[in-house]
Amino acid sequence: MGNVIKKLAIGLVVGGVLVGVARALEFPFVYQMLFFGFAMLGAAVFMLLDAPPLRTMSGGKSMFALVAFYMLLCTVCIAGASFLPQFDPEDEKGKIAKILKPQIDASEKGKTEELIARAKALDEQVRALEVRLKILGGDQVVPPPAGTPPAAPTTSVTTGDFMKLGEEQWQLMECYNCHKLRGEGGKKRGPELDNIGSLLTVDEIKQKITDPKSFMAEGFEKEWEKGRMPDKFKDLMEPKDIQALASWLGTFKNTSVNTPRPIKKK
Amino acid sequence: MKTWQRSFVVVCAFLALFGGVAYAQTPGVAAVEFPYTGNRTAVWIVAQLHTLFGAFILGAPIFIVISEWLGYRKQDLRYDRLAKEVTKVTVILFSMTALTGGLFIFVLLAAYPQFTSWFINQFYLVFAVIYPLLFIGGTIVLYAYFYTWDAWKGEKKGRHIALGVLLNLLCMVTMFVINGPTSFMNTPLKADGISPQDLLAAASLWDKIANQSWMPLNLHRIDGNVAFGGFMTGMIAAYMYMGAKTQEERAFYDWMGFVGNLIAVGATLFQPFTGLLLAYEMCDYDFSFCPYMMADQLSMFFEMQGAMIGLMFLAINYYAWLSLKRIEGAERVRMTILAPIVMVALPIVMVAVLNVYWIPDPKSLLFLLPLILAPFLFGRFIPKTVSARTVIKIGFLMIIVSDAIWLTPRGFAATGANLAPGLEIPSDWDILASMPAKVSAMFTLVFATVLNYILYNRAIKQGTILWGKIDFTSQFVLILLAFISIWTMGLMGAVRSLVRKYYHTYSLIPDFTAESFTPTLSYSAWWITGITVVFFSVVSLAVIMALRPSESKGRVPERAPVPARAE
Repeated sequence: MGNVIKKLAIGLVVGGVLVGVARALEFPFVYQMLFFGFAMLGAAVFMLLDAPPLRTMSGGKSMFALVAFYMLLCTVCIAGASFLPQFDPEDEKGKIAKILKPQIDASEKGKTEELIARAKALDEQVRALEVRLKILGGDQVVPPPAGTPPAAPTTSVTTGDFMKLGEEQWQLMECYNCHKLRGEGGKKRGPELDNIGSLLTVDEIKQKITDPKSFMAEGFEKEWEKGRMPDKFKDLMEPKDIQALASWLGTFKNTSVNTPRPIKKK
Repeated sequence: MKTWQRSFVVVCAFLALFGGVAYAQTPGVAAVEFPYTGNRTAVWIVAQLHTLFGAFILGAPIFIVISEWLGYRKQDLRYDRLAKEVTKVTVILFSMTALTGGLFIFVLLAAYPQFTSWFINQFYLVFAVIYPLLFIGGTIVLYAYFYTWDAWKGEKKGRHIALGVLLNLLCMVTMFVINGPTSFMNTPLKADGISPQDLLAAASLWDKIANQSWMPLNLHRIDGNVAFGGFMTGMIAAYMYMGAKTQEERAFYDWMGFVGNLIAVGATLFQPFTGLLLAYEMCDYDFSFCPYMMADQLSMFFEMQGAMIGLMFLAINYYAWLSLKRIEGAERVRMTILAPIVMVALPIVMVAVLNVYWIPDPKSLLFLLPLILAPFLFGRFIPKTVSARTVIKIGFLMIIVSDAIWLTPRGFAATGANLAPGLEIPSDWDILASMPAKVSAMFTLVFATVLNYILYNRAIKQGTILWGKIDFTSQFVLILLAFISIWTMGLMGAVRSLVRKYYHTYSLIPDFTAESFTPTLSYSAWWITGITVVFFSVVSLAVIMALRPSESKGRVPERAPVPARAE
């Protein structure tokens, strides 16, 4: 028991010091708790090192201990994983559907789904008409000819919509993982792009997206040589999406940001 | 399980496999909806179970032949008994591997018929000819190996070991072959300026197999399987130790756990590096894998991996500590003071060096190699020494420090997009979350473990091991190690599959189903734990079936274990 109390006391002192230092260095609370947790883990480990030996068990007693141990392990693994911050799949679901939409539309499955959706829509129309006919007495409304497609929502592609599409592509393709823009995203993996519009034309940006080796940002020689920027966007994105993204990026002309100069390579 | 029962299971598995391949050729099959789990999780469960059984039957034969050879060379019958007992369990699990393999093909076909048909057609020769032939060959050789054990003794032992080597070769080739399609799903062929579809159309089977992540995956799995085989042997030994009725039995199973653990530790030390190589190649293939794994959707999976690896290293060293306690004369073992000094300095120096010369720049070795080798090269010239206990305790301290460095994230958020100021590491200290810091932590864990095992080895040579007198806690440590090893395999298997994002085969075949999103870590942990429990239950049953009956028949003790010193 003396061993436990002594190690616990040391653990608490070390943990307290770590929390104090972490606070002084402006670590957020969650990090302070992490460091405190490690101090306590250390105390537990050193308690175990000097613990008296466990008496040998056999038969039912060892079986019971084994089952209890497995239950403890399962609980620790699940609870440990659940305790960490969880990614919300809902954040991704909409994105994936949008990214894959052109490919779904082009696939056999997409065509089948479209046919099923149209058939369902027509079926609903027929039912609605039947209800209306019943209400009106059956002969006062002339039903539309069979096979008339439902009124398609009219969409007007304005410049604003086009720019919105470009911004949406930035989010969908997760460009922010490597590039900083408007002070957000980027982990120094790729150049900051707030002034890219002053350095490249829209067509040149488009060229860079479809062929990442076509331009190299100054100071990013290693990244360019290793092909850090994925060469997949031309296969993944529709031409109109690439055009929208390039046009949207072309509007960024913030000269106060030091966007590295692009050097033409192809 | 009797021979005809085992054969029946294997035949059923092959029927399922061939049936599946043939079924894949029928056009226009609709997908089945698996209740409760959903299609993706159903495939995940069966695939992971197949991988675990596969890992066991590929890793255990390496372990078995080494053990048999050691027994032959040292004329120590304990090694031979160990090898034979593990082989008994392996024979049963061989059938389970075939069964889950056949089931895997069926579940895959039922859940994703279009993709599976396409995939099988891409690797038709592998799935319909090479893999089954290798598996049949492996099964025949395994059975021959097992049933000739008693017949090929004495002068014929060399022939028996050669059969074991052949079994290993077959198992190794089988793994290399099946890793081709597996790695292809992550890193299919690509070339600048050619669309993936056009490139695939012109590719040969070899081009598809020898993709960028194939060899790193092979290396990681060979190494992992040896470690896995060792940990599983440790677990079998722990079970038997717990059920042992005599001191003699306890002595044998204590020794068996010791050997299993030693081989597992040797292989585990390479695991972080082969894993890093695999991750490096995948990031090199497509850099978007890297942030997805390390900074975004899967970042907390890696946090969990760090916790499990940290726990594994703590357990490995704790087992050494408990083993050391039952060695008479261990207190006399000492080591140069340079060893603990280097151990403490290593993470700091390494972070500084790797920040300037990042991998694969070889200049970092100019600084790090002399530092790491200093205790071994210059230790003898420095008279000051410290006791084994002190070095090991400092080792534990450094393991905890390394775990803390490994587990300090850039931010406590599941994705970079959710990162808020109160959750992010201060910018002055973001070095703690950098890759050089993580690699340094990894190296320190390995270095501390190597030092501990050097001391352990010295104690074994200088002292006398009292077999069967080990602290009973050690048996739980052996089980813990096997559990962590399997759980981590499950976690990393999930990561390797999830890296494909919303593709069945990255950038080639998209997954149009509603399940192609990244699941939460918590959801994954439930399933990984469930799979681990099922695997453990089957292995436990196999151990009971394979090893218990021989005891009830009243086995004649082969040789009384003797203290190491007396050997």
